[in-house]
Amino acid sequence: MIRVFLRGLAAHFRAGRTLLILSVLGVALGVASVLSVQILNGSALGAFEGGLRAVSGEADLTILGKVPTVPDAWVREAMSERGVAAAWPVVRTPVKLEGPGGVFLDLAGVDVLAPVWFPWDVPPGEVAAALGAPGWAAVSEKLARERGWAVGDVFDVSSGSRRVRLRVGLLVDFRKVSPLAGDRLVVLDIAQAQDALGLEGAVHQVDVKLSPGASRAEVGERLARRLGPAAQVLTPEQRRSQAAGLLSAFRLNLTALSLISLLVGAFLVHTTTQAALVRRRAELGLLRSLGTTRRQVLAILVAEVALLGVLGTLLGIPIGYWAAAANVEAVSATLSNLYLLEGIGSLGLEPWVLALAVAVGLGGAVAGALLPALELSRRDTRALLAPFSLHERVGKAAPRLAVAGCAILAGTGVWYAGLGRGWRPAGFVVALSLLIALPAMTPWLLRTLCGRLRARGFGLAYGVKALGVKLGTTSFAVAALGIAVAMLVGITVMVGSFRRTLEVWIDATIRADVYVTTESWRRARETAVLDPAVVSALLRLPGVRSADRLRRTRAFSGERRIALVGRDVGMPGGEGRFVLIEGDRADAIRRVAAGEAAMIGEPLARKAGLGVGDRLPLTAPGGNFEIPIAGVYLDYAEEHGSAVLDLSALESRFGLAGLTNVDLYLEPGASPERIMDSIRGRFPDAPLELLSNRRLREEILEIFDQTFAVTRLLQGMALLIAVAGITLTLLVLARERVSELALYRALGASRRRILRVFLGEGVGMAGLGILLGVPGGVALAMILIRLVNRAYFGWTIVPSWPVAALARQAAVLLAAAAAASLYPAIRASRTPATELRRDDL
Amino acid sequence: MDPVLEFRSVSKRYEQEGGEDLVALREVSFSVPEGRAIAITGRSGSGKSTLLHLAAGIDVPTAGKVAILGRDLSRLDEGERTRVRRDSVGLVFQFFHLLSHLSVLDNVMLPAWIAGERDRDAEPRARELLARVGLGSRASSPVPKLSGGEMQRVAICRALLRKPRLLLADEPTGNLDDENGRRVMDILLRLGGEEGSALVYVTHSPDLASLADETWRLGSGVLDRP
Amino acid sequence: MTTCDRIPPRRGSRARRATWIALGLVAGAAAGAGGFRIAVPDYAWSFPRDHWAHEGYRTEWWYFTGHLDSKEPGARSLGFQFTIFRIGILPARPPFRSEWATSGVAMGHAAVSDLDRGEHRFSETVRREVPLLASFGLHPDPEIARVQGPAGTDGAWTLRWNGDGFDLEARDDAERFRMSLSTRAERPVVLQGPNGLSRKGDAPGAASQYYSVTRLATRGTVVLDGREIPVAGESWMDREFGSSELSEEQVGWDWFALRLDDGRDLMLYALRDRGGEAGVRNGSLVRPGGEVRLLEASDWSVRPLSTWTSGVTGATYPAKWRIEIPSEGLALVVVPDFSEQENVARTPRAPFYWEGSVSVLDGAGGRAGRGYVELTGYGERNRPPV
Repeated sequence: MIRVFLRGLAAHFRAGRTLLILSVLGVALGVASVLSVQILNGSALGAFEGGLRAVSGEADLTILGKVPTVPDAWVREAMSERGVAAAWPVVRTPVKLEGPGGVFLDLAGVDVLAPVWFPWDVPPGEVAAALGAPGWAAVSEKLARERGWAVGDVFDVSSGSRRVRLRVGLLVDFRKVSPLAGDRLVVLDIAQAQDALGLEGAVHQVDVKLSPGASRAEVGERLARRLGPAAQVLTPEQRRSQAAGLLSAFRLNLTALSLISLLVGAFLVHTTTQAALVRRRAELGLLRSLGTTRRQVLAILVAEVALLGVLGTLLGIPIGYWAAAANVEAVSATLSNLYLLEGIGSLGLEPWVLALAVAVGLGGAVAGALLPALELSRRDTRALLAPFSLHERVGKAAPRLAVAGCAILAGTGVWYAGLGRGWRPAGFVVALSLLIALPAMTPWLLRTLCGRLRARGFGLAYGVKALGVKLGTTSFAVAALGIAVAMLVGITVMVGSFRRTLEVWIDATIRADVYVTTESWRRARETAVLDPAVVSALLRLPGVRSADRLRRTRAFSGERRIALVGRDVGMPGGEGRFVLIEGDRADAIRRVAAGEAAMIGEPLARKAGLGVGDRLPLTAPGGNFEIPIAGVYLDYAEEHGSAVLDLSALESRFGLAGLTNVDLYLEPGASPERIMDSIRGRFPDAPLELLSNRRLREEILEIFDQTFAVTRLLQGMALLIAVAGITLTLLVLARERVSELALYRALGASRRRILRVFLGEGVGMAGLGILLGVPGGVALAMILIRLVNRAYFGWTIVPSWPVAALARQAAVLLAAAAAASLYPAIRASRTPATELRRDDL
Repeated sequence: MDPVLEFRSVSKRYEQEGGEDLVALREVSFSVPEGRAIAITGRSGSGKSTLLHLAAGIDVPTAGKVAILGRDLSRLDEGERTRVRRDSVGLVFQFFHLLSHLSVLDNVMLPAWIAGERDRDAEPRARELLARVGLGSRASSPVPKLSGGEMQRVAICRALLRKPRLLLADEPTGNLDDENGRRVMDILLRLGGEEGSALVYVTHSPDLASLADETWRLGSGVLDRP
Repeated sequence: MTTCDRIPPRRGSRARRATWIALGLVAGAAAGAGGFRIAVPDYAWSFPRDHWAHEGYRTEWWYFTGHLDSKEPGARSLGFQFTIFRIGILPARPPFRSEWATSGVAMGHAAVSDLDRGEHRFSETVRREVPLLASFGLHPDPEIARVQGPAGTDGAWTLRWNGDGFDLEARDDAERFRMSLSTRAERPVVLQGPNGLSRKGDAPGAASQYYSVTRLATRGTVVLDGREIPVAGESWMDREFGSSELSEEQVGWDWFALRLDDGRDLMLYALRDRGGEAGVRNGSLVRPGGEVRLLEASDWSVRPLSTWTSGVTGATYPAKWRIEIPSEGLALVVVPDFSEQENVARTPRAPFYWEGSVSVLDGAGGRAGRGYVELTGYGERNRPPV
């Protein structure tokens, strides 16, 4: 049997080189889609985790606050608790490295004398320097190499308005400890860090090591009770899942997209296998008539397909890795800009991801091939030597399939309207049912539309009509195309709608002329405080009509971490800053400005189920309190929820002095550029970042576009796969309809005419795919906008229909389809009339 | 006047792997004038199909010359040969070779579509032909509903649609019972004769062969003409 | 609680950083280097002011050892040790605006030996010297030293001046003992060495300022395993401060503090080199009237009579000694009250030493006094970081 298999293998591969290449490509692309997304997803938290481990090393528990900083007395409290072997303080904040290049470093202050092992050793001789030499910092070897630093060199960083001069005291390879640790880590002794950052009396976290035999959960509970409601006691796993929680929506969406690509790829594999197998009906029939059992035939087929899967997987893995690498920039940018996490330093390829890729490739190949293989091995011998009736069966099943598809869709819709609504991933279930319904309806659609078509003449229309015949083959390609188009349309519409909504919102709320903050603010946010001297100078600048002073911070509302902003809510002329979807704006502003109430952002309102009249719980250093909600405003800046208090209320409740941002509104006629120049002139050394209104708007949209860059890659892949499906399908059709083609030739059809017919079939498939996919895409867009977005992000997105962009995409698709049809059409047209056989046509 | 079909010392060999060439036709020469009906008999494997393929211009001889209406097919490229076939040759097959996804009428219209003729021009003739063979009422029927004999009659209409000068039929009754077979032959001879087309048909039935003007024998690639 | 929730015992984990190793090498640098003050022959003593901490020295300690008997029925006989160390890494506190700015580390050692049952408990706490965790007072603030207790225990260990003597508090919940003692000096301060300069070697800074209070009446409470035991007895205080005292060749010392029943107090120490030979040997004898005689190396001899090997650290210590001071007519045998009085900290690879209650016997084997013996630097790579 093996010999038959191997000999046959060689012959087929020789004979069907093109088919083989295309099939392998199909598997490869499916594998690459899934792999690239999983690599990016998996690596996204790598730097974060690496940073955690590099600094916290042996810590079994970490104590964080529900307020930005925790009193350093907590260190003593923690170390006094039974079961604790050691507790030490950590200060951590991003700082901006002075100089061009927009480089941010991760500054950590630790107790170098703590009786624990840090994942890097301060040599004994250096301890004195770490404690006493001003600016002493341990820096990663890679960073030093990049910057050309040697031990003893100095460098300046800024945190808020503070500028700090540091000196390279030690070179450490953090990666030895933690392979994905970023190279941006700079470690100081805690005294120096507090001094540099102006954080006297406060630390950001307390790390705790437990005694042998102590239980994390139990000691954790006791610590939480001892330290009070403002404390969070977390294990390293919990910290990781907190960060993962930040990213969950982002990663889930990426994964969903990759799965759609996979689905399309699976269809392709199916067509591929059919292509490979249909040729060999006669051979298989012969084998069966010679006494080969069904199981043996099936085994041969599955073995061949598995081999195909292996080749495709081997090809797909490097392609997937390359695709991930090509998108690291975009994803990293999203991570830093939106989530304030460190970008991806290096791509990790974990064994399980690799295993997943192999499973996808092999499994997808075998699964896709299963139907045709079963079909061929199951048929009785005679039928194998006779015509292929899969098409008839698909044709007969078409109405039932269509009904089933509609039923699934309708059923899911009903489920969502009732029970499903409360479950977060419900939107994805609805989307999935849509993506199942689309292919289910394809055979019926094909049969009906093509059947109704009146084709007079032997040309393009004739070709389109012919699609309705070999349903077993054409349905899959059209379905794959339909899904790819649906995805394309759905995402284009969603992203387009989102962007348009964002533009409108920006227009309404971004009204100040000059935005002032500090350089480290981009990453550090709440710790980047402006020098009060600078602030008062800004407020007194000639040309400044009014100013909105802001202090941003993070706070906890219950168990939910939100962004909290204190600002001059009552600033005259500043109503436009808030677009309320609930509550009376004038009233809300008045109450918030008086310190009596707060306003919350839409995502928080939706996720927490809060509205005007409810009370917002907050945790302040003094304890928990509640404040009435006077309004709900549109907010596209914070995915996880935000709230606004009046600046004085924030300062008094949270004990936060200092501002992080100042938005300047100028007199009519004053030039923003002139004002910015004068600010820079007055404070030449201050690490300020100034943005004009125009520039801020541009930046916001740039960040938005970057965030969705990855989806474009996936769309491209899906389309590529689908278009390749056209080629494959046409090749299969050419092979299946050999007699029919021979008949045409016998009847005097020129090669060019046959070429036209096949072109018609290819473009027809694309056209039908568009016909199928556009409504599907519209539905998908609405699902994404209304269901998925609401559940995961909570934003109001106004649908807008970028008709021009879609029309362009349709034109491109049709052109691509025509190009994809060319090769098979040429092959088909070469069918000699002598191929007329006894088969039914 | 040129004969409709002429073979001059036509030979056809097929190369085979690791062995001798297969000689399908050996120095076959004949000519068929207008309106003539020729029956060719012979056992399977004697080269009958090859002869028809060469006659239709579907294939080219290894040696010798095949001419339709005086045009030497071997001088023509593949496209031109196809055009000749399209305009001057009508084919009828043993297995009918109708397209089951087209209606009866559309099957008959196919050659007109292939030739780029307008429906307006071709449809009336198609309907007329169908009526002539007794299938006028079945024009919109789907093909699978027809019996074997009915299918072959449709095929004949298809072959005759464009008034070909040469009709070639490969075992036209091979898949039919006797009665239908007779009927089909009858239609072939009659309708073909009306247009003055030359008819060359291959058959293994001496009875059917006797209906032709001449009967030739093909044996082992050699044509035996009385 | 799942099994993976518990922290597995760590065996052979990486060497502990900082404190000990740091100190070891930092201190091992050339004596007097790095801006630290060194011990000088003309130090101007002033008491009680000198009982408080001295800025600028590398090492300083307050060392109490003594014997306590309980008055309850089923009388118990205990030995105890209470030590506070101050270890400087920088000569002075750096001027950072931070409560964590520090010049070094504070450390406490406490031990209780139950002489009847032969049980020894030892506790150590090491804390960065920051106001939150450890501080040293200034005269006349009664609090001389305060060090936050070991991890897992609430509260701080304190050393206070009560006007006549010192009050000590130490506690370790994991070792399940507490001591709360009040002492009153019964003898005046004894300067150990000429003007209190105790030479340890030839290098300029290889010396410490050293004094003792040889007898302190001691009263208080010791809590063992939750049982409060009122105790009373006598203790001995040693005080030293200096910078970089040991040389390269010196690996440790043997130190004896003996209170003889005839009223004499004997302090002897010998620094051993790598070969085991005692290089620098010094001592003092205090007569009942208070007169102090400083003993030269030739005045006395100590001969170990047996050894004991620790099952915990594998080090072999001398375990019985014969001390002869012919000029004083002393021929004494010093016997540990029990062997297992080795101080081993919980953190692996921290230096360990033997510090135990001993009984002094005369030539006839009769009881002649009580005391404490300290043996450091025995075993592998166990050099004290002084």
